[in-house]
Amino acid sequence: MTKVDTSRRAVAPRAPRTSQSGARRQYMYLTIGLAVFFFLPFVLPESAQPVAVRTLIFAIMAVGWNLMSGYGGMFSFGHAAFFGVGAYTVAFLLTEYGISPWISMIVGAILSAGVGVLIAYMCLRYKLAGSYFALATFAFAQMFLLIAQGAEFLNKTEGINIPLLPQESWVMMQFDQNSYYYYWIPLGLLAIVVAVSIYYVNSRAGQFTQAIRDDAIAAESLGINVMRYRLITVALSCAITAIAGAYYTQYYLFVGPEQAFGLHVSIDALIPAVIGGMGTIWGPLVGAAVMGPLSEVIAGLLRNPPPFLEFLQGRSGLDVAVYAVLLIAIVVFMPKGIFGTIRDRWRK
Amino acid sequence: MTKRILSAAAIVVAMFGVTACSTGGGDTASAADTIMIGSVHPLSGGLAGVGGLMNDGAKLAIEDINAAGGIESLDGALLELIDGDSQGSAETGQSEAQRLISAGAVALVGTYQSDVTQNVASVAERAKVPLVIDVAVDDKILSQGYQYSFRIQPDASSMGQSGANELVAMAAASDLTINTVSYIHIEGAFGGSVFEAFKAEAEGLGITVAKEVTYSGTNFSDATTQVADALTVNPDVIVVTGYFPDNLLVAQAVKAMSPDIKAVYGIASGAFDDSSFPTSAGEAASGILSANYHYSATSDRAADIRTRFEAKYGKAMETSAMLSYQAVEVIAAGLEEGASADPVELRDAISGLSLEDPLLAFKGPIEFDERGQNKNASVIVMQVQDGVIQQVYPIDFATADLVFPTGQ
Repeated sequence: MTKVDTSRRAVAPRAPRTSQSGARRQYMYLTIGLAVFFFLPFVLPESAQPVAVRTLIFAIMAVGWNLMSGYGGMFSFGHAAFFGVGAYTVAFLLTEYGISPWISMIVGAILSAGVGVLIAYMCLRYKLAGSYFALATFAFAQMFLLIAQGAEFLNKTEGINIPLLPQESWVMMQFDQNSYYYYWIPLGLLAIVVAVSIYYVNSRAGQFTQAIRDDAIAAESLGINVMRYRLITVALSCAITAIAGAYYTQYYLFVGPEQAFGLHVSIDALIPAVIGGMGTIWGPLVGAAVMGPLSEVIAGLLRNPPPFLEFLQGRSGLDVAVYAVLLIAIVVFMPKGIFGTIRDRWRK
Repeated sequence: MTKRILSAAAIVVAMFGVTACSTGGGDTASAADTIMIGSVHPLSGGLAGVGGLMNDGAKLAIEDINAAGGIESLDGALLELIDGDSQGSAETGQSEAQRLISAGAVALVGTYQSDVTQNVASVAERAKVPLVIDVAVDDKILSQGYQYSFRIQPDASSMGQSGANELVAMAAASDLTINTVSYIHIEGAFGGSVFEAFKAEAEGLGITVAKEVTYSGTNFSDATTQVADALTVNPDVIVVTGYFPDNLLVAQAVKAMSPDIKAVYGIASGAFDDSSFPTSAGEAASGILSANYHYSATSDRAADIRTRFEAKYGKAMETSAMLSYQAVEVIAAGLEEGASADPVELRDAISGLSLEDPLLAFKGPIEFDERGQNKNASVIVMQVQDGVIQQVYPIDFATADLVFPTGQ
C-alpha cells in the first residue's frame, strides 16, 4: 500500500503543501471526469443504461467502503448493513409517510452513520482487528438481514414496493423508465461523494486516519485520538454507502431483505475497491467501471458470439465462470488493484 | 512459463475455431415480420435447472406456433424468443427485462421467483409492455394495481383456500372426518400467506388447525424437531408448505417416526408432485398427497407436448415449464385476437382473452380478472402411488383412485 508517503504526512501536524496541490489536481480530474461521463447516455445504447446505473451504484458503495477499509484500515465485510439501512429508510419513509426520497436519503445517511459508529465502537472497544473485525461486521450485517426478515413494519420477507406514480416527479425522484435523470442523479451523487472523500483524505482528520491505519500505536503516542478519528471515518463511510442504498431503492422501486442486507451486497461493495485499488481515490471508480459492466458484456458476448465462439451460444452460466476467472486473474496479477498497479508502474 | 501459457492459449483458441466450424452457423437474424417475446428466467445460479427448463418450455411453444403458420391475423408473422437471464436476482432481472424491451420485445414471460417478478412487473408497467407471469405465487405482485401483468397460476391465498376445500371433499368422499391438522410451513411470504388462507378456510369448514410449526428455509438440514412438534397435538393430517429440499426432509422425518396419522398433505409444495420426488424420497414418498397447480395429465395435448419436450431436451417437462409454454400461448392468442403487435393493444387483447383447452388442470378456460389473475386457476390433488405421481382429485382429472387414509 502507500505506506511510505502517508506515514510521513501523518507525523506533520498539518498536511503539507504537496497534499493541498494533490487535492487540487484530484478535484480537477473529478470535474473533467464528470463532464465526460455526463454525455455518456447520449452515446450509450438504451439497453446499456440500466448497466450504467448499476455501475454507478456500485461505485458509490465502493467509495464508501474504501474510506473505512482502504484509508481507515478497518476491513469491513458487512457493508450491506449500512447499504440496507439507507435502502429501507427511503422505502419505509416513502410508503408510510410519503416523504420525498431526497430527504429520506439524508435521513438514511445519518441513521446509517449512527449505526456504523455504534457497531465500530463496539468492535474497536473490544480490540477486534483484522479478520476478527471483518467477521464481526459480517455478523452484524447478517443480524440486520434476520431482523429485516422478521420485522412486521418492514413487511418481513416480502420487502417494500415503491408505488409507481402516473407521472414523472422530481420530488419523488420518479421518471420514465429510460429517462437520463436515472443516470445523471447517481452520477451527481458519485461526484459529490468522491469530492467529499478527496477533501477528507487530504484533511487533517483524514491524514490522522491514515496514520492510524499504518501504525495505531505510533499515532496514539503522538497524541492522536485513535478511536475518535476511526469513528469519524466509519461514520462518513457508512453515510456514503447508505446513499447508494437509498438510490438503489428509488431506481429499482423495490427492496427486500436479500437486496438490502444480503451477503452479495457486502461483496459488491468491496470488490470494486479491491479490484481497482484500495486506499486510492480513483481505485474504487476504476474497479466499478470494470466490474459493473463485466458480467453484462460477457453475457452479451455469449448471446451473440463472434463466429469462432458460436458454439458457446446459449451456454448459460458461462458468463459467471468467466467473470470469476477474470476476477482471480486481476487479483493474482495486479495485487494492488488495477489503478494501484498502473500508478506504481507509472511512477517507476 | 509465459511461453507455456501463450501456447496453451493458442491451443484453446484453435480448438474454439475448429468446434465453431463443425457446429456451423446459427440463425440469429430477425426479419422485419418476426415478433419478439422476451423471456426472463434464472438461467444461471442456484435455480438454473428449473429456469433452463422453463426457458426451453417457452422456446418449444414458439417453435410449435411458428410451425403451425405463425400468427394468422398478422399475415403469418413468426415469433422469436429472446432470452434474459435473471441470475436469480431481482436487480439483474430488472435490467434484463429493460434490455429485452429495448431490443424490441412486445411482451415478456417469466420469472419463477416472486421478488424478481415484482421488479420485472414494475418494468413492464412503466414500459407499457405486457408481462405474462408463468410461475410466481405471491399475492402481492398483482395487488399493486398494475395494468400490464397477468398470472396464469393460482396465487398463494387461493391455493391455501382450495387446499382446505379439497381436503374436506376428499375426506367426505372417503367416509372420513378430519378434526385437527398440524401445519408445517416455511417462514416468509410464501409459506405464511398459504397458511393464513388455509387456516381461515379450514376453520370455516370445521377443521381445527391445532398447531403451526414454521422453519427457516436457510440452513434447514433436518425436520425431525418440526415433525415431532407437529405430532404433539395428535393431528389427523399433517399439512406442509415449502420448497423441494425442505419438504423432502419433512417426508423423510415423517417416515422415520411412522406416526398414527391419516395423511401427509402438501399444499403448494415444491417437492411432493415433482417427478424426481418419488426417487429422492423412496419409501417415504409413498401415499403423500399434494394439492398444487399441475399440468393436466388427462389432456392429450399436454401429453403430446411433454413427449416432444422430453425427446428434444432429454428431461422431464415439469409443471413450471408447461406454464412457460402456456404463457407463450397466451401471448400468441393475444396477438391473434388483437391482430396487432403493438404492446398496448396486445395488453388489451390479453385482458379480454378466453383461452379454452388450457394445458394445466384448471376448472375452466384461462380468463383474467381486473387484477390480471386467471379466474379459473385451480389446484388439483396428486398422490404418490407405487413410485408414480398420479392425479387423484377432483375425479374429472383423476388418473388413479385416491387412497385415503394413505396408510403410511
